[in-house]
Amino acid sequence: MTLIGAYAVVAPTITSLQLNAGAIAPEMAVLIALLACLVVDLAGEGVASRWVPPICYAGLLSALVLLALQWDAPLEPSFLGSFLADNLAVAFRAVVAGSTLLSLLISWRYVESSGTPVGEYAAILLAATLGAMFLCGSTDLISIFISLETLSVSSYLLSGYMKRDARSAEAALKYLLVGSAAAAVFLYGASLLYGLTGGGTGLDAVALALKTSETPVTALALVFVLATVAFKIAAVPFHQWTPDVYEGSPTPVVAFLSVGSKAAGFALALRLLVGCFDSFETQWKLLFTVLAILSMTLGNVVALAQTSMKRMLAYSSIGQAGFVMIGLVCGTEDGFSAMVLYMAAYLFMNLGAFACIILFSLRTGSDRISDYAGLYQKDPLITLGLSLCLLSLGGIPPMLGFFGKIYLFFAGWADHQYLLVVVGLITSVVSIYYYISVIKMMVVKEPQEASDAVKSYPDITWSVAGMPSLRTALVACVLITAVGGVLSNPLFNWASATVAGTPMLQRAIASALPVALG
Amino acid sequence: MLSLLLLIPFGGALLLALWPGNPAQGRMRTITLVVLGLQLAWSLVVLARFDPGNSAMQLQESLGWVGSLGLDYRLGIDGLSLPLVLINGALTLVSAICTRDIDKRPRFYFALLMVISGAVNGAFLAENLLLFFLFYELELIPLWALISIWGGTNRAYAATKFLIFTAVSGMLILGAFLGLALFTGNADFSLAPITSEQLSMGSQLLLLGALLIGFGIKIPLFPFHNWLPDAHTQASTPVSVLLAGVLLKLGTYGLLRFCLGLFPEAWVQLAPALAIWAAISVLFGSLAAIAQKDMKRMVAYSSVGHMGYILLASAAATPVAMLGAVFQMVSHGLISALLFLLVGIVYRKTGTRDLAVLHGLLNPERGLPFTGSLMILGVMASAGMPGMAGFISEFLVFRGSISAFPLATLLSMVGSGLTAVYFLLLVNRAFFGRLAVTAITDPVVHGRLDVNLAAVAPRETIPAMALAIGVVVIGLLPAGLGRLSETAATAMVQLPALTAALHGVALPSGGLG
Repeated sequence: MTLIGAYAVVAPTITSLQLNAGAIAPEMAVLIALLACLVVDLAGEGVASRWVPPICYAGLLSALVLLALQWDAPLEPSFLGSFLADNLAVAFRAVVAGSTLLSLLISWRYVESSGTPVGEYAAILLAATLGAMFLCGSTDLISIFISLETLSVSSYLLSGYMKRDARSAEAALKYLLVGSAAAAVFLYGASLLYGLTGGGTGLDAVALALKTSETPVTALALVFVLATVAFKIAAVPFHQWTPDVYEGSPTPVVAFLSVGSKAAGFALALRLLVGCFDSFETQWKLLFTVLAILSMTLGNVVALAQTSMKRMLAYSSIGQAGFVMIGLVCGTEDGFSAMVLYMAAYLFMNLGAFACIILFSLRTGSDRISDYAGLYQKDPLITLGLSLCLLSLGGIPPMLGFFGKIYLFFAGWADHQYLLVVVGLITSVVSIYYYISVIKMMVVKEPQEASDAVKSYPDITWSVAGMPSLRTALVACVLITAVGGVLSNPLFNWASATVAGTPMLQRAIASALPVALG
Repeated sequence: MLSLLLLIPFGGALLLALWPGNPAQGRMRTITLVVLGLQLAWSLVVLARFDPGNSAMQLQESLGWVGSLGLDYRLGIDGLSLPLVLINGALTLVSAICTRDIDKRPRFYFALLMVISGAVNGAFLAENLLLFFLFYELELIPLWALISIWGGTNRAYAATKFLIFTAVSGMLILGAFLGLALFTGNADFSLAPITSEQLSMGSQLLLLGALLIGFGIKIPLFPFHNWLPDAHTQASTPVSVLLAGVLLKLGTYGLLRFCLGLFPEAWVQLAPALAIWAAISVLFGSLAAIAQKDMKRMVAYSSVGHMGYILLASAAATPVAMLGAVFQMVSHGLISALLFLLVGIVYRKTGTRDLAVLHGLLNPERGLPFTGSLMILGVMASAGMPGMAGFISEFLVFRGSISAFPLATLLSMVGSGLTAVYFLLLVNRAFFGRLAVTAITDPVVHGRLDVNLAAVAPRETIPAMALAIGVVVIGLLPAGLGRLSETAATAMVQLPALTAALHGVALPSGGLG
């Protein structure tokens, strides 16, 4: 009786809550596409490779349309308070769905040339998408855990998808072991929180319990939860799995992991830390400051020494996550919008870069940076596309990444995070150096200095199945990266509307204001 | 109106990049020349529309861009930026003209040239701090590519060094701009000098220090000059012309516009130290130049010395000194471009720039008499001979600074005297005496003095001639440029004068006489 009473205090409207299943309509579209892929896959390889791509496009595009319809819709918690389709959820789910769409576009040729079934691959990637999308909107510990595991298990499968490649198997095993440990840690933290609330699993209940509770167990729960989040966004020192997994996994999977999975991780960080642990704001902000500084420094410095393109991008993605964490630590309106904006920018520039390196590895079978020497002569499209995307990642104007990065620094400086911004500025210079050395390979090296891979470069053909879609994705990403910066005002407005339409973030901003003024 | 100064070169670069087929190098050069000619012509139109009596920003244009970032597209021009825009137009054209027979990838080369020109124009015209930073960074990668693709044997090292130094300078500048805008709560990044006065002196000095180092790298001033001699020696002649004539001016422009213009209070505090810094930079540049054996390195070090005058003048912050700073920017642009062009001709004809090897190039029959004569003229101008641009600017700088900082000014004058020393060394070794292009000390080829250098075609010297005429015209008729910049120079120093008067700090004074 007391238990029910306590729960009623926490969620007084429990009886009036609707199921409100419309909130997960985008996920349903993805799920239908997933089931359709599985069914089509039964009909044989030929039918599958013909029908799976359009099914996936249809599912993801309708998910994006449904997400657009949810934008600024009146907020009602659905599924008894375990899912909330606020603008934050909509924005991050759109980033996830977009990253899946682009990853799929660039993967058909890769998957087919590796001789693995297309239908299965698409189904697992869609399952990972489903998990990531649910994770962005979950407001309940149980639904968070389930969606987290959906994402993780599918990711393990994906990273081991090239069964014949020993490195892929190694990547999958490493990812599985580290990921399971992280999941166990999260479960333990969640169980502590469950105990604190006295039986509630909703994040509102947890937040309330954390405010009133005095026990040191809360700090323990914070550390556990934070470790999980840091694992998901690959923040140093929870990053060790990243380079190995990125190097061994199939490249399109890495493209998805580095953007989609990471976006879901940041959404989770916002929900848990900003929405739930606001009474421990000083503590988690301090921890995240340390994580951000470590990530920016280590990610960017170690990237200098890499010879493999995928490994270099893996370390650079650790550094990029460090930049995004600046926005998280700020906890201001600008900080949150800068985060959202940078994730959206990162989607295009990183996937554009991945599209280029997939295309290069399809044509030469190589992933070494030194094999890119003299590429401008043979393949201007890859050279131009990869150069623009890397310059954007390095924050060179007038690319999209420049505006995103400036906004993060702007927000950080406005919130007096001087140390973070200074470290960010210095590590940006470092990052320019290693991005430029790739560009130097491609653009500066003359034909006589070209690598063997480039000297024996095949003729460029786009007629093979799967290549036109790869080209579409590449051109779209590069175009948005290059032109999106100059025309970035709508993107900025979208990012601030995301923050404005998210009550949880608004509360955090409002509670932070008196401190800033005082 | 001003936007066209950006649209013409950027549009030209795009046009060239998308030009169908595979046009011959000559065709691409012609397109570039037409575009850059148009740009120069439009700069002259801007000059005609410009009202020199008005000290405010003129011909302003503005367009909202990214509101939440405080980044607005706002352009304006005044007496400080107009001469630099003209110099940019002229020197980019010159460097395109003197680009002949580049061995590879002409399309990329000319497109980069135009992008740089447009970006520099944008930086000079920007009225928003972030917009300036955007253009400042925009010029970085194209110049890196110009050095690292079309440079000398050690170009990769020099280009990377340039890139790292300039990237660091960019980050310092960005940090200082963010700091200024957000400390003061004035997050629209406008060029409003009063805002910094809300800050405590400590934070003003901190931000000003970051800006000074940032621009000090670009100018470059001792001890941040390290990248410049390497970049110059490895860069091809047209790129050196551009680098010395135009891109270094971004640093001095930033010094005047943002350091002095935005932090007048802290500037007055730091001025004595800055004057000493300027003198050290001048002396270091001159002494290092004396020690050089490579003609191009020598000219590069002379730049380090001559840019020190601008710091001296801006430290003094009197109207005369400021006018001198503007003159020095223009005349250094013309003179160093001229010297680099001539060194380029010598290098092309003889295959070396080594002063221990070159002798008697002035030989009227088999040497390079006309190039040599122009060189002597350029060297005299650089050393500050009366009747040429160098004299006017040095005189104004010293005249304006001596009352404020006598010691630093006297030391700089010594540096100016040293200019004559090293350039006489250069002329004496390379141009006077018997003609020889081999090392005298080399026993094997010793005595092979009867070289016959290919004649220099008139078209090769035309750009150099034009620059030399410019140097002499400014030297003889300085009033035109003076009238253009006088109001701006005076307006600029009224800020420190004003704040000094408000706070009772004794300000070094100087009249226009």
